[in-house]
Amino acid sequence: MSAPSMTAASAAVYLDHASTTPVDARVALAMAEVLNSETEFGNPASVSHDYGDIAGSLVEQARRQVAAAVGAGPGEVVWTSGATEANNLALFGVAHYYRERGRHIVTARTEHKAVLDPCRELERRGWQITYLIPDRDGLLDPNQVAAALRTDTVLVSIMHVNNEIGVVQNIGAIAAMCARHGSAWLHVDAAQSVGKCPIDFAGLGVDLMSLSGHKVYGPKGVGALVVSERKDGPRGGRVQLAPLVYGGGQERGLRAGTLATHQIVGMGLAFELAASISSTETVRIARLQRRLWQGLASIGGALRNGSATHSVPHLLNVSFEGVEGESLLAAVRPHLAVSTGSACNSALAEPSYVLRALGRGERLSESSLRFGLGRTTTDADIDTAIAVLSREVPRLRNIAGTQSARATSALPAP
Amino acid sequence: MNYNEVTRRYFESPANVGELSGPGVFRGAAGKREEGTWVQFDLQCVSGTLQAARFLAFACPHTIAVSAWLAEQSVGKTVTRTLPESVQELRDRFDVPVDKMGRLLIIEDAWLAAAVPAIDYRG
Repeated sequence: MSAPSMTAASAAVYLDHASTTPVDARVALAMAEVLNSETEFGNPASVSHDYGDIAGSLVEQARRQVAAAVGAGPGEVVWTSGATEANNLALFGVAHYYRERGRHIVTARTEHKAVLDPCRELERRGWQITYLIPDRDGLLDPNQVAAALRTDTVLVSIMHVNNEIGVVQNIGAIAAMCARHGSAWLHVDAAQSVGKCPIDFAGLGVDLMSLSGHKVYGPKGVGALVVSERKDGPRGGRVQLAPLVYGGGQERGLRAGTLATHQIVGMGLAFELAASISSTETVRIARLQRRLWQGLASIGGALRNGSATHSVPHLLNVSFEGVEGESLLAAVRPHLAVSTGSACNSALAEPSYVLRALGRGERLSESSLRFGLGRTTTDADIDTAIAVLSREVPRLRNIAGTQSARATSALPAP
Repeated sequence: MNYNEVTRRYFESPANVGELSGPGVFRGAAGKREEGTWVQFDLQCVSGTLQAARFLAFACPHTIAVSAWLAEQSVGKTVTRTLPESVQELRDRFDVPVDKMGRLLIIEDAWLAAAVPAIDYRG
């Protein structure tokens, strides 16, 4: 089977960096060196020869790089296949290890599916889950977390940067609530955070943190769960996990399986590069985002989703009134690679549950676009995005007969 | 979702978008914008022959393309109690996924709501 092809001339402008990022050329080179090396192919767990030691040292170097980027200790980094596995390890690991102490978990409705789906499965297995509802800006009040904690709560799982709307939760305050309550570990999905905003794992008082390689210009297929070695956690000791995968005892027995040296080397370098990105890059992205929003707002009937102040500049989520979701995506697809707020490709369309949780109606949730800006994004890309949407949104409103009223909800029912 | 060539063409450049008014104009609509699909046809008929047609659609690309095609292809033809082309033929022409068949029925309802009263109109 052949993959769809895309010529350089027809390639759409890539504005989906929140979905994944291109691998940094320096990262790709480092990975290729490992793959092509005659001395670095060893099993990192092999301690009986130099081949294993060389691979092992590369893995440990990457561990230090990742740890340094998030303010953790190298011994706290557990390699996984990605943030999804890290989230699963955190949720199932805590739930099963502490199942005799309590079977209650607190999370939010706007979490990634990689948190919500394990929570649903735990519910099916008898755990109780409290799903917090954020305000209309997507923000949680730390007091909501405090109010949800019970004597049998073993885990709070709240993401740092939301993957759809870019909102940044006040993790420090939530961690303080968990510590004060004294019964629950805190897991943070930080897949969208690295390179976009500062992270201080130790300083925040977080117990578990999920990380992803490919969101940070690293390779797909590798991630990490940072597991705190603090011994003064809320249960009076360090957090413990029941492993998901058995068979070899790698990664302190938390994640068995031969480590993928080249993937890990790539993630390590990607995190080091992300941590070294200067503040001028963040300022540049913020300027591009402001320019994009100003351009889209001038179309009229464009509603920004999520807090404009408590968010990373790399994400902008906008709903367009009076436009049907699938048509909007189809109209922009030849020109822009963006994500839609809807899985609207069939009669079984499912509007974004994140936007629905923020109180957006079904139609506005479907007619949203997520713009993910990144290192490759240029002023010309932003100009293209504004031009395409300034042409297509009014065109679709004209076809829909909504051009004058704009707001779908304001129109009389046909 | 991928669309075939005719769907993309009529979605990207639909003719006959809009509304008609005046004598001999019959309007039919079906669906609801609030539910994601709404289609309206304005058909202008004289002695059972379609003189002009316009459409509006708050809908997916398939629905817009089919509505545009109907409004374009039917002018000059006799108005009947059926769609100018059957739902199954439209489905094949536009490669409409089976889970969108309901949207073709909305188009049919909107078309017939305008067409049936027009059949006997003699101006």
